[in-house]
Amino acid sequence: MKKYSFIIYIASSLLFFTSCERDVENLDAATYPTNGEVFIDAFSSGLNYAAFGGSVPTAFQVDNAVTYNNSSASMRFDVPNANDPNGAYAGGSYFTNMPRNLSGYDALTFWAKSSQTATIDVVGFGNDFGENKYQASISGLQVSTAWKKYIIPIPDPSKLTAEKGMFFISEGPENNNGYSFWIDEVKFEKLGTIAHPQATILNGANQTVTSFIGVSNTVNGLTAIFNMPNGTNQAVNVTPYYFTFSSSNTNVATVSPLGVVNTIGAGTATITGKLGSINATGSLIINSPGSFVHAPTPTRSPSSVTSLFSDAYTNVPVDYYNGYWAPYQTTQSADFEVAGDHVLNYTNFNFVGVQFSSPVIDATMRTHLHLDLYIPSTLASGAIFKVQVVDFGADGVYGGGNDTSSTRTFTAPTLQGQNWVSLDIPFSSLTGLASRSHLGQIIFEGTNITNFYTDNIYFYNDGSIIPSVPTVAAPTPTTPSSNVISIFSDAYTNVAGTNFNPNWGQATQTSIVSIGGNNTFKMQGLNYQGIQLGSNQNVSSKTFLHVDYYTANSTSLKIYLISPGPVETPYTLTVPSMGGWQSIDIPLTSFSPVDLSNVFQLKFDGNGDIYMDNIYFK
Amino acid sequence: MTHYKFIIKFFAITPLLFLASSCQVDDKQKIEQKNWSLVWSDDFNDASGTQPNPTKWTYDIGNSGWGNSELQYYTNRPENVATDGNGNLVITAKSEIYNGAPFTSARIKTQGLFSQKQGRFEARIKTPYGPGIWPAFWLLSDNVNTVGWPQCGEIDIMELRGQQPHIINGSLHGPGYSGGNAMTTPYSIPNTRFDVDYHLFAVEWYEDHIDYFVDDYLYQRIKKSDVSGEWVFNNSSFYIILNVAVGGNYVGFPTAQTPFPQKMYIDYVKVYQ
Repeated sequence: MKKYSFIIYIASSLLFFTSCERDVENLDAATYPTNGEVFIDAFSSGLNYAAFGGSVPTAFQVDNAVTYNNSSASMRFDVPNANDPNGAYAGGSYFTNMPRNLSGYDALTFWAKSSQTATIDVVGFGNDFGENKYQASISGLQVSTAWKKYIIPIPDPSKLTAEKGMFFISEGPENNNGYSFWIDEVKFEKLGTIAHPQATILNGANQTVTSFIGVSNTVNGLTAIFNMPNGTNQAVNVTPYYFTFSSSNTNVATVSPLGVVNTIGAGTATITGKLGSINATGSLIINSPGSFVHAPTPTRSPSSVTSLFSDAYTNVPVDYYNGYWAPYQTTQSADFEVAGDHVLNYTNFNFVGVQFSSPVIDATMRTHLHLDLYIPSTLASGAIFKVQVVDFGADGVYGGGNDTSSTRTFTAPTLQGQNWVSLDIPFSSLTGLASRSHLGQIIFEGTNITNFYTDNIYFYNDGSIIPSVPTVAAPTPTTPSSNVISIFSDAYTNVAGTNFNPNWGQATQTSIVSIGGNNTFKMQGLNYQGIQLGSNQNVSSKTFLHVDYYTANSTSLKIYLISPGPVETPYTLTVPSMGGWQSIDIPLTSFSPVDLSNVFQLKFDGNGDIYMDNIYFK
Repeated sequence: MTHYKFIIKFFAITPLLFLASSCQVDDKQKIEQKNWSLVWSDDFNDASGTQPNPTKWTYDIGNSGWGNSELQYYTNRPENVATDGNGNLVITAKSEIYNGAPFTSARIKTQGLFSQKQGRFEARIKTPYGPGIWPAFWLLSDNVNTVGWPQCGEIDIMELRGQQPHIINGSLHGPGYSGGNAMTTPYSIPNTRFDVDYHLFAVEWYEDHIDYFVDDYLYQRIKKSDVSGEWVFNNSSFYIILNVAVGGNYVGFPTAQTPFPQKMYIDYVKVYQ
């Protein structure tokens, strides 16, 4: 960023020209200088320039050739062509180190002309490369090849008692083409001919929102409008610092100086704003039922969930939660957060789409769609809520002739007002869905439901789909090691010298595989399989044999405990392992008449592919 | 009630204009009191929504353009002319389709109810604003329908172009000096504009000259010897007209930037002899 600094230079003739406006400098005993001149024929006292980041650093030059009224110098800006490697636009701010008191003026004025008719993106004051508290600007300033005077009204001069940002401008190429424009005679003036100030918050609308204790809303849509000396209205971009906000009921909602509204109680509060002494049109009406009732906290294991929107899970990428599908959608979003719980809120609801196409979701290992629904009003008669799930087909993109979808419709008594309702939609009921391996959208559609909240939107596996390979490690044991005689576990010291694949003539293929970073004993193509302990074990002081097992495809699985003789007794395990890993504590009494004081082998028989972990006595 | 008469040291229009538009308003005009006596007035102190008193005012109605290519339809509806309950009569120009015209407004007059030759005519007014808005407070001769215009004479006490809300014009129309060639002087108010507060607009009409005032500041004197044609202002009584035109030859067209509705607030009208 290039920085310019110029030494004060004021022509005596200028003092004469502006003499009748200079009496404002005597109005108050200000701490700071009241010099209103910014650039007359040179930088005014203490003025610095810095280009904005990303702009062409050298776009601004002092020009002695093209000036207003044949004065000695003007400011020239050379707007770059599109794709100029030096920067995308011309722009920078003129600021002072020593603040100035500009409260006696009502406008920033300047003369401008351009090498071609153009519309300057933004021009204003109050940019000090700091907080920019009292930044004010005009967007879309039309300039032409003739010198013309331009006026930027000061939204509230009383705020500018210590302003450093004297002038800033930013302009990009016009139709990809660069050009030049000149600015001259930049100064703050007391015109007296700027009249009829108006202000808006929320762009002048009276907006009602339902809010809860702990919810924040921001007052936006701030504008100031002034009638200019030519009788036309001019909108000025303003910051919240120019406004004062107030709440009609501070027991319900408070509003910060910057327009952040915090709901703190039940009831109704109306937030209004003033620009100086001007009452802004528009208001934010907070309707607070009080404390927010959170949706039920999800309890399903993250490994069985693909979440679109929930604070309980890591959500997958979602393109949008409201597609604002023109032209028929009326649904707006008023999402909020209460104590860390994010909630989607759809208002003026007719239908709304949630899209998650990058990437689409393969839900073949998921059995249900879950969402929690809250209708904040009492349920209207005839209320209908539809959930449509869309699969984008093999091409994985919307359209293409291979999309399929299916819709479920909910009515009372499933639907309730003022209560969280959990909807669990099995894919088996979405009969129109030809596939669920490229899910891309969920569409909500309603009748007689104008407003609802939703949370915890996720696909899940109710356990009836078991991946052939476990996605997570078996649960980590919690039994104290002092109470354990362990055969196979990463959590304990195991009996030394155990042979997990003695040659008993079995067809089973065994291996130790890593599942979730945890050593796991795998038996593939089980017919039977023995385990020869490294030494005979006296487990008569123990009560249970604990095993974690997992199988997607087994229809028969038994475990045997064996003492010399051999004396062996089977115990039947329930297969397949619905819901993933199954942990079981088998009472050792089940293995009677095995001699618990002298156990030396275990054995499995049955079929399928089996994962085992944490085999220990306790 | 204060009545002033000014003694003017110099009369060329140019130096007067300089004074008017400079920052140093010359408030050292020497004045000599003249005892005017009130003969006619309307304070508009009626309840809100009251239409002009029919014993004092009547209406021009229609969209004939009024000789100036004006765009509005003048009505006698309360939407266009009624008191505001705060002691003012309000003439409202609205952007609305009405009988084929794109705007409505009102034009009230004392024709047939009150007229006077010579004296002081004054009104305290806050003007409307915006490109193409043309408020006026003016006098027209009772002879207008017999001798025709401009032979009858017209005294414009206040006219304003809404795109220049800090400038009013005082004019005199007569045979040989009418329309674009009227005797006219603009008055530019320093550091404010006429639509943000009330200002007193007045003429003092004598046998051989007419003085034009803003807030009792004399900014123009037109003498019988100044006019290029016949001085017709001793021939008849004149009646009062108040109106807000939209568009017209004098002011140009309103634009998309013109704020509507636009209101002219009239605190009072008083006539002295």
